[in-house]
Amino acid sequence: MLVKKAVGFTPALADSRWVKGLLIATALAFLLLFLVLPLVSVFVEALRRGTDAYWAALVEPDAVAAIKLTLIVAAIAVPMNLLFGVAASWCIAKFDFRGKDVLITLIDLPFSVSPVISGLIYVLLFGLHGLMGPFLKSQGIQIIFAVPGLVLATVFVTFPFVARELIPLMQEQGNEEEEAALVLGASGWQTFWRVTLPNIKWGLLYGVLLCNARAMGEFGAVSVVSGHIRGETNTMPLHVEILYNEYNLVAAFAVASVLAMLALVTLVVKSVLEWRFGAELAATRH
Amino acid sequence: MAIQVSGITKQFGTFRALDAVDLEVRSGELLALLGPSGSGKTTLLRIMAGLEFADSGSLLLNGEEALSLTPRERQVGFVFQHYALFRHMTVFDNVAFGMKVRPRGQRPTSTEIKRRVMELLELVQLAHFADRYPAQLSGGQRQRVALARALAIEPKVLLLDEPFGALDAKVRKELRRWLRKLHEDIHITSVFVTHDQEEALELADRVVVMSQGRIEQVGSPAEVYDRPASAFVYEFLGQVNRFDCVVADGVARTANGALSIPADGTVRGPAIAYVRPHDLGLSPSAGGPGRVSGIHVVGPDARIEIDLAGLPLEAEMDRERLSALGLRPGDQCAVHIDRARVFPQP
Repeated sequence: MLVKKAVGFTPALADSRWVKGLLIATALAFLLLFLVLPLVSVFVEALRRGTDAYWAALVEPDAVAAIKLTLIVAAIAVPMNLLFGVAASWCIAKFDFRGKDVLITLIDLPFSVSPVISGLIYVLLFGLHGLMGPFLKSQGIQIIFAVPGLVLATVFVTFPFVARELIPLMQEQGNEEEEAALVLGASGWQTFWRVTLPNIKWGLLYGVLLCNARAMGEFGAVSVVSGHIRGETNTMPLHVEILYNEYNLVAAFAVASVLAMLALVTLVVKSVLEWRFGAELAATRH
Repeated sequence: MAIQVSGITKQFGTFRALDAVDLEVRSGELLALLGPSGSGKTTLLRIMAGLEFADSGSLLLNGEEALSLTPRERQVGFVFQHYALFRHMTVFDNVAFGMKVRPRGQRPTSTEIKRRVMELLELVQLAHFADRYPAQLSGGQRQRVALARALAIEPKVLLLDEPFGALDAKVRKELRRWLRKLHEDIHITSVFVTHDQEEALELADRVVVMSQGRIEQVGSPAEVYDRPASAFVYEFLGQVNRFDCVVADGVARTANGALSIPADGTVRGPAIAYVRPHDLGLSPSAGGPGRVSGIHVVGPDARIEIDLAGLPLEAEMDRERLSALGLRPGDQCAVHIDRARVFPQP
């Protein structure tokens, strides 16, 4: 008689409960140690002397100037990279041309170059003793140690975010829907607005959020071109550093907490959008 | 509307996709472009639609030169193999798209658009699905939406690129019949691309057989099947037994002398003979030259593998006939050829 034993039978992909538990615990411990703990400590440090001190550090004129400057820089840099990112990924994903690989590599360049170097490049180009410095000075244009320099450095550093998000998405979606739109009589613009853009809007949003987070948080490149003029060319991350170096810990952490909150808001916005439009998101995937 | 293709050539790098192709599509007909992959059939269709540029040649749509026109100016309906429905739009919006993107002066009113869309969805039997998204439909339904969308711009020509290629066998057959009927109702000049000879023969008024960027033959399904113009066409349209042989005195003989096939007078010397499996007759004969090496039953038909003195052959007949003959694997049999075609060795 044939006896079937079910005891030794384990599905190929099911690990034992023990392994599963260990993996989950490791991941959680890691998250707690490296993400949650630092974040919490920022807020704890910021509120160490109570809410009054916290508030005072934020409404202090230099802090307000730093917050304003950060918002201005992001408000210029993000739309620029949005425009560039969409244009670049459109031409990379939808067309074949010579030098495409070079272009893709160039887009990745800011990721591989140290931000300090990218800041330095602008100083060498536009600084007083730089390549174009004398010309700019004679025209009365100041780029380095002024807002234009900050914007340039930020644009450079956050350059790949939107394009990197969109290129794989657009490549996967192919050209057929655009071709269908053209044959149906749509113009190039109509095709872009009505077919391409709706198909990439989630990827685009995600890219813009990441780009924005980085634009506000960028330190290295901005630090080189800023000149650290208090109340004038200090963005929030630079302001935090100055306060920290002055042992003004409460103020430093208070400003840092605002930056951290910007990141949290970004995350929340993304989650809410995903939750709100989840069904539509699923429907537009294959 | 008639289409006149003359001398169209298209090169992709070193690959010649189309080599000076001439073709006339008659007004109101349903024409099939049939060929293996890489034969240039899809490229030709895309050039007609304006989705691909020809290197040289001319394309007349209703007598007017069209190669310099953009796709939107050509007013053709195009159906893609993978549907290419706008995934973020409902079925209704997909069908309405072509009307909504028209310039303000030519755009129908929204009530008119609604009426037209629902009319088209009725036509493709999908009126209930107007609010669905493409992802919520089956393949056959999506392709019908794609067809309704293409028809919504009132195209003068309908171009279909392997319209049933991505569907399973049963849906494919249904949709094929349905398209045939639709064509009979609305009589729009239509060109469809396929690599499936059965599909082309069943559906089309005329079939264009293509190979390596050239047209091998144009004719009605019966013409191309019964009187193939070349060895390629013969081989491509259905199953064949192929023998290398030498023709002398109007008879083609295989090298081992096992088969002799009557050949028409035009062929001489080394040649290739083709026999379709159902044109191969078998009869049980103890001393016969053939031996049954295998029998496969496929639905109502039987495929019989014969070993004719080392030459493998395949015969096809219905199962009843086979059981009447009483042939079994291992039996000896006589082989006679009812019909064959001999082409000179290329």
